[in-house]
Amino acid sequence: MNSAVEKQIRILGHKDFKSDYKPVWCAGCGDFGVLNALTKAMAALELEPENVAMIAGIGCSSRIPAYTTVYGFHGVHGRALPLAAGLAVSRPELTVIATGGDGDGFSIGGNHFLHACRRNVNMTYLVMDNSVYGMTKGQASPTTECDWTGSKLSPQGTHQPPLQPLELALAARAPFIARAFSNSPNELARIMTEAIEFEGFAFVQILSPCITFRPEQLGWKKRVHEGFEPTDDRAAAFAALSDDDGFTTGILYRAPRPAFRPDQRDRVDIETIEKHFEVRS
Amino acid sequence: MSPSKDLGSFLAHAVVLEDEAATRYRELADAMAVHNNPDVEALFCKMAEYSDMHRAEAIEHAEQHAGGLPDLKPWEFEWPGDESPESGRLESTHYLMTPFHALQLALEAEEGAFAFYNEIATRTNDPPIRKLAEEFAAEEKQHVEALKKWIAQYPEPPENWDDDLDPPVPVD
Repeated sequence: MNSAVEKQIRILGHKDFKSDYKPVWCAGCGDFGVLNALTKAMAALELEPENVAMIAGIGCSSRIPAYTTVYGFHGVHGRALPLAAGLAVSRPELTVIATGGDGDGFSIGGNHFLHACRRNVNMTYLVMDNSVYGMTKGQASPTTECDWTGSKLSPQGTHQPPLQPLELALAARAPFIARAFSNSPNELARIMTEAIEFEGFAFVQILSPCITFRPEQLGWKKRVHEGFEPTDDRAAAFAALSDDDGFTTGILYRAPRPAFRPDQRDRVDIETIEKHFEVRS
Repeated sequence: MSPSKDLGSFLAHAVVLEDEAATRYRELADAMAVHNNPDVEALFCKMAEYSDMHRAEAIEHAEQHAGGLPDLKPWEFEWPGDESPESGRLESTHYLMTPFHALQLALEAEEGAFAFYNEIATRTNDPPIRKLAEEFAAEEKQHVEALKKWIAQYPEPPENWDDDLDPPVPVD
C-alpha cells in the first residue's frame, strides 16, 4: 500500500491476498467470485497472510488455496476437514479455513463433515456447491437434482433426492450455518467475515455455478434471494429450512457453544515424536 | 454512508469502482491466458491498464479531500447491483470469446459506471458531489463512445463462434 487513500480504504488491500498463479478455472466459473470475496473478507478483517492457513481437498474449487498468499495445503479427496481440525487444535492462534466442493465435502468427505459439525473446532468451512463433479468432467454429485440427465453415468437422472447441506449441518449441531451466492461477492464477503470471526465451526454453503457442465446454473442469479434471519433457535432454523427452495441466502443459524480445544499441557514435542520413528538396524 | 450525501463516501466509491474494474479485467485476462486466447487476453490487459489510470486519477481526487475517506467494508458500498458497476460480468465470459465480445463486455461495464455517476449527479443535493459526479459521468461517457468506435472496427463474429472441435464434454 502506498498512498494515504489506500491505507484508509482497507479493502484495497485485497490484492495482498492474491497469489501470482493464474486460476485454471473455466472462464465464467463461479469460483472466481468466491476467490474475490474471500480476499476481500481477509482484507476487511485485516488478517495477516502468514497467520492464515487454507486447507483443501480435491476438485476444481479445492484449488483455491494456491490462488491466495496465505498458507495452503492441498490434501487428499474429502479430507480437508480432519486436516484443518488437526491444524486448528494444534495451532489455535491461526485462522484456519477449509475449502472444497460439494463432491469433496458431502460425498467423499461426508462423514468428516458430520463429525466436524458435532466436534465444533474453531475453523471455517467454505463449500463451493455447483451440484456437479466438474474436474472429472460432469458427473452427478450429492447435491445434484434427481432428474438431471446431463451425465452418461445417470442418463435417466440419479433417482436420489439431493442432499440438503444446511439441514445436515443443523442436524449434526453445527453452531454457525449460512448460505451465499458467488455472484454476489460483497454479500458473500460479509458472510465469510462473520464465519471467520465466529468462535467455533462455521459452515458456509456457497452456490457457485459451473458454467461448463451446468450452464443452466447461470439462471441462479434470478433465483437466489435473501431471506434467512440469523437465529439461535434450532426449531426456528429447521422451520426456515422447511420453506427453503435451496436459493435462500443469509446466515441461517448462529448459536455459539464452547469450541473443542484439547488441553495442550501434555503436548509432546517434536523430538519425542521423532524418537518413535527411529530407524534401528 | 450514501455516496450522494457524503463526499468522502463518494470518493471512496470512485476509487473502489476503478480498483474492482481493474481487478476483474485482470481476472478475465488470466482466464483467457489459461485457455490460450491471447488476443482477448491482451485486450483485457489493456482495459485493466486503463482502469489503473482511472484509479490513480480517483485517488488523486480523494487525496485532495481534507475530510478523509470512510473505511467502508465491501458490503457497505452502495452499488446499484451486486457488484461495483464497472466490473465486467463474469458470467458474460467464454473461453472462446472474441475481441468483439470482450469489447461488448467492457462497453456494458462503462455504461454501468456512467449510469452510476449520472444517477448521483441527478440525485445529490451536495454541490461538490454533483460537480465531481458530473465530471466522472462525462469521462465515462467518453469511454463509452471510444468503445463504440473500437467495436465498429471488429466484424461481428459468425453465429458458430463458440464451436469447439474438442469440447469439454462428459467422458464417462
